[in-house]
Amino acid sequence: MPEIVMSHVCKRFGDAVAADDLNLEVMDGEYLCILGPTGAGKTTAMRMICGLTIPDSGTITFDGEDVTQLETAKRGATMLSQQYSLFPHMSVMDNILFGPTIKEWDPEDSRIIANNLLHMVHLEARAKERPTHLSGGQQQRVALARAMASGSRILLLDEPLRALDARLRLELRKDLKSMVKSMGLTAVHVTHDQDEALEMADRIAVIRNGRILQVGTPREVFDSPATPFVANFVGRSNVLTGKVVSREGGTVSVECGGYIIKADDDKHEIGDDVVVAVKIGNTRISKTEGGWFEGRIERILYEGVSITVEMNVEGLGLVSSKLPNRKFDDYSEGDTVAVRWIPSAASVFDVPECGLEEELRVE
Amino acid sequence: MSQIKLEHVMMRFGSVVASRDINVTINSGEYVTVLGPSGCGKTTLIKIISGILHPTEGRVLIDGKDVTDIPIEDRDVGYVFQNIALFPHMNLKDNVGYGPRVRDKSREETDAISEEYLTLVKMLDRSGYLPSELSGGEQQKVAIARALASGSKVIMLDEPLSALDARVRVELRYDIRRLVKKLGITVLHVTHDQEEAMSVSDRIILMRKGTIHEIGTPLEIYRDPKSIFAAYFIGETNLIECTVVKRTKKGNTQVVLRDGSITRIKGIKFDVGDPVVLSVRPEHVYTANDGIRATVREVVFMGTYWRVRTEADSQDLIEYNISTDTDTPAKGDVVYLVFNKKATRLFARPIQGLQEEIVLE
Amino acid sequence: MALIEKIDEISSNPRNRKAWLALACIIFAVIIVIPAIFVIFSIPTRWDEIQGVLADSDTMSIIWGAIWNSFSLAFIVTVLDIVVGLPMAWMLVRKNYRFNKYLDTFIDMPLAFPTVALGFSVMVFWGCPDGITVPGLGLVMSPYLMVVLLHLIFTYPYMVRCLSGILEQIDTNCETAAMTLGASKWTAVRTITLPLFRAGLVTGFILCFARSLSETGGTYIVLTMMGASTFDINGFFTGPTLISELRHMSQDPTSGLGDAVPELILISSLLIVFALLMLFLAKTIMTRLKIPWRKVWPRFGRRVSGKKVATAKDSLAFMFALIFILIPSFYIFVCLGTEGSYSDYGGFLSAVGTSFLVAGVATVFDIIFGIPVAMYIARNRGSKRAELLDNLVNVPLIIPTTALGFSLGLFWGGLGLSSWGVLLVIFGHISFTYPLLVRNLVGAIEEVDPSYEEIARTLGAKPFQAFRKVLLPMVKSSLLAGAVLAFTRSLGETGATQAISNTVNTVPIYIVNFINGDIPNYYAAAVSSVMLIAICFVFMFGLRIVIDRMGGKD
Repeated sequence: MPEIVMSHVCKRFGDAVAADDLNLEVMDGEYLCILGPTGAGKTTAMRMICGLTIPDSGTITFDGEDVTQLETAKRGATMLSQQYSLFPHMSVMDNILFGPTIKEWDPEDSRIIANNLLHMVHLEARAKERPTHLSGGQQQRVALARAMASGSRILLLDEPLRALDARLRLELRKDLKSMVKSMGLTAVHVTHDQDEALEMADRIAVIRNGRILQVGTPREVFDSPATPFVANFVGRSNVLTGKVVSREGGTVSVECGGYIIKADDDKHEIGDDVVVAVKIGNTRISKTEGGWFEGRIERILYEGVSITVEMNVEGLGLVSSKLPNRKFDDYSEGDTVAVRWIPSAASVFDVPECGLEEELRVE
Repeated sequence: MSQIKLEHVMMRFGSVVASRDINVTINSGEYVTVLGPSGCGKTTLIKIISGILHPTEGRVLIDGKDVTDIPIEDRDVGYVFQNIALFPHMNLKDNVGYGPRVRDKSREETDAISEEYLTLVKMLDRSGYLPSELSGGEQQKVAIARALASGSKVIMLDEPLSALDARVRVELRYDIRRLVKKLGITVLHVTHDQEEAMSVSDRIILMRKGTIHEIGTPLEIYRDPKSIFAAYFIGETNLIECTVVKRTKKGNTQVVLRDGSITRIKGIKFDVGDPVVLSVRPEHVYTANDGIRATVREVVFMGTYWRVRTEADSQDLIEYNISTDTDTPAKGDVVYLVFNKKATRLFARPIQGLQEEIVLE
Repeated sequence: MALIEKIDEISSNPRNRKAWLALACIIFAVIIVIPAIFVIFSIPTRWDEIQGVLADSDTMSIIWGAIWNSFSLAFIVTVLDIVVGLPMAWMLVRKNYRFNKYLDTFIDMPLAFPTVALGFSVMVFWGCPDGITVPGLGLVMSPYLMVVLLHLIFTYPYMVRCLSGILEQIDTNCETAAMTLGASKWTAVRTITLPLFRAGLVTGFILCFARSLSETGGTYIVLTMMGASTFDINGFFTGPTLISELRHMSQDPTSGLGDAVPELILISSLLIVFALLMLFLAKTIMTRLKIPWRKVWPRFGRRVSGKKVATAKDSLAFMFALIFILIPSFYIFVCLGTEGSYSDYGGFLSAVGTSFLVAGVATVFDIIFGIPVAMYIARNRGSKRAELLDNLVNVPLIIPTTALGFSLGLFWGGLGLSSWGVLLVIFGHISFTYPLLVRNLVGAIEEVDPSYEEIARTLGAKPFQAFRKVLLPMVKSSLLAGAVLAFTRSLGETGATQAISNTVNTVPIYIVNFINGDIPNYYAAAVSSVMLIAICFVFMFGLRIVIDRMGGKD
């Protein structure tokens, strides 16, 4: 059952459109990520859910009740912000007790709740300290405990990991989600980091220019992108333009840059101009077998669990392939390799009206 | 030619020692990243090289010449800031031309240099814009062009990408590497992002608590880390506390986990009875019919693979990867795990405890 | 407690919040802005008499002379402030000298001195007034130069504060970047840091200019002691002192001036109009003015970037502050060692009572009605309405307080309130202290990320709760600083009080009367000045302790 429903929500700031007919449902107990580049309207969408921004038109309901105009304090949606915003003049304990105190709960009960939360975030020993004395990761945990202590059913997370070191971010992804899930909260998490969204989300909503482009599970968004932008934003893709030249069942052959490549598709006719996108992780290379085309390896980048091979292909430019790290010793710079992929791994789109380069812009 | 050498460099701020006894040589044309958690002294290091900070002790040599006492402006070391720091009151052309101009180049020369470097970063068509009219990634490209246009053969990049969106970061890091390699510039790039460090550098300097922890190519450090911290910080790894029980004749070591299950690792570095920590990366853990018994806790889609998080009977959390085109186990399933014994490493168990050894902040 | 809870409840209705803001704005307009410029609208009603004044060429030449003196003085003083204040601000912010901490405190002290006391002190230090036997430098100089020396003292702290505030905000990375590109320190500062400074310079310029333009008490004392303030063609006046002198003379039936109202209306209106014009010019011209950075002289830059030049610059800045600002301010204490008699402690105490009443009420009023306006300005940057409000707040700041006081007297007098002397004086003091508090508060609120209040609201806090539990504690120290600034400014004000009422006797007026009397009693003026300074410090110190204690509790 949907807990939060935004329907036909619009919001403008002067000339800038922050939300353009936004429709989104968040299920009860779901962890939903809103993913998009800077300036896409992610934060505005979240602020409208908790009432810090009032939409120009459209409605927002919680559990079927219209809250579009309801004041923030009465909504029961709490926010965890990017810079944590811990109140610097209060101790860690008082920060966590802020919600219960405001709501005038029984002091004894409040204290028990706060202690339990402090225990959960492993900060019992720091309860009396001022937040400025804590490290970034600890502050983030206090902010989480504070949000949870307020008894809200809905938790909004505004890039909660952005201010942390990359390695710490990786660890906290797991912790953060499991803590939110263990409390049974409905969470909306805003991020620009596609890896974070893939790893944490139950469902991802990809947003750009105030519009939601696609909503789906991480696998749906990754494997079956709705637009070329989604294909390239959620995991890098090789994006090629060409013309459909023939069709065999559900597979089309597309001529690009003088080569014939194949992709599964049932929407385009022979003669159509199309865009073909294939994830670099699904782009296979081989020294022995044939492929759609051949490229010369310009660079091999060792990235830990995987390697990225960049090839220069005449007529197409730079094409990349991401392989497991055990293949590192199989190739070297300067080698000529054949490139191919299984047709079902590629997606075919209409040529975007704004031009391909504009469509793929990530900022 | 622009080789950098640091000899016994030490930096103290009041009573805090930010770096101690740093000795390192960076070769001409090399792309080196300085990687480490917050507060490990990595930015201090490049500030010392560029002359923004004067070391408390030690020497900085560029091409064999002692530059420790040469002021910033005469050192010819470019510096790119995390917050970009383009001059907000100048357009792009004037920003990039600033270096040549303050070195008393003629107006024509300045313009020519400015155009040349704006072309290199593909921003020439915007040369009349003010920095505030550009996106973050574009601003950083101009900042790099500005550092290069002053004629420096050495540049320091101080977390140049951390203010940018994740997706932009990925694009830009390859662009930067391509550009500096083309020009043969020596680069020191400071970052806390291990993925970024691995994908762009020739060598990585891993720093911790003001000292150099480990130096090596990305491949060396990832495959053969010399310490638990390096194994943990660079790439992901499963760390399991265990004890050596046997050294086989074939040159393997047998270790026992907390629950008594046994696994084998290549090499015989430790004696029987030694407390050790086993490190194995998720891609080197496989499922089999027999092995370490573990229960599946979570299966996560990571794009190019599934990540399975399990809890072994020894209470160790063990993660492994499986290809996206295979079936995934369900939560609660029992699996048996084996490790690729060639890719598994053993380290002496730290006295202060494993958690303390890998603490990140 | 119940009241606060009620306010919490009321605050959750946006309509109530709007009503409160509207009320604050109306009060701001009716009590502060309109009375301040009312005098201009009274010109038509007394046009005939004013025409008479306009026709009198002797009077007119005195009036034009005074206005010219005021504006040229303010301009010269402000430019000097910039020249000498910049190196000082630089030294305070960027250098780590051990004495910086003390210097920082000392430079602010002249702000807490009543200008009357400063005027006296400066006169004794530099000049050789008749009838006083304190060992000063005994220099004979023109009244103009002496007034410049005086005005430097109380405008210099404003300029240093303002410039160092901006300097702290400027990202040093830009300057460092310039140096890594090969620019010498001097070139980097000149081409990068200074151009980024412009906004700060404009604010500092307006503040100092306004302060100098408006000052009455100290200037009046200096001019009286030099015997320069005689109402004829040989007299030397500034706009505000001319108003004071006219008010003073109009009380004396033998002067033959009558009530001098047409003259006063004319001077006040001229001062107000020119002051507003100045504000407008400063905002439009100076924000367009570009500091040239295109041309560079690398070799010259290198030569002046050395350590020696920097040390010389710092020493000069320090010496200037010491000789021209600090010693002259504190020189008044030397007067205590001279012979003289003073016993009017009762009169002094009653004046202190009046001063504290006026300053206290005005400050409390400023706080209550200033906060909503400050919040609106700070939280709605970019909106047209907030910008308008922001500019309006500056209006009473730039208008000379004497003109403001006279205008205010006319406004409320017209409404039949002229007999309520103290109340009108309080209104007058509210007018010129209000901008000080609001300005400080706007700056402080802008520093606090709005996300703190927003988070509090998502945790269930009503808007007023979010304000008092989160924002207020975070801006507490700035609010206090603003309140102290407003309070001391009110305590030291002479011109406005004089212009509004002849009967209200605040301490500065009490002191002026010693010097302005038929037989000047310099010793009495010195003693009461020192006592006022002492009271000010004790009061500020006490307030700080009380507030710190309160802060410890929550």
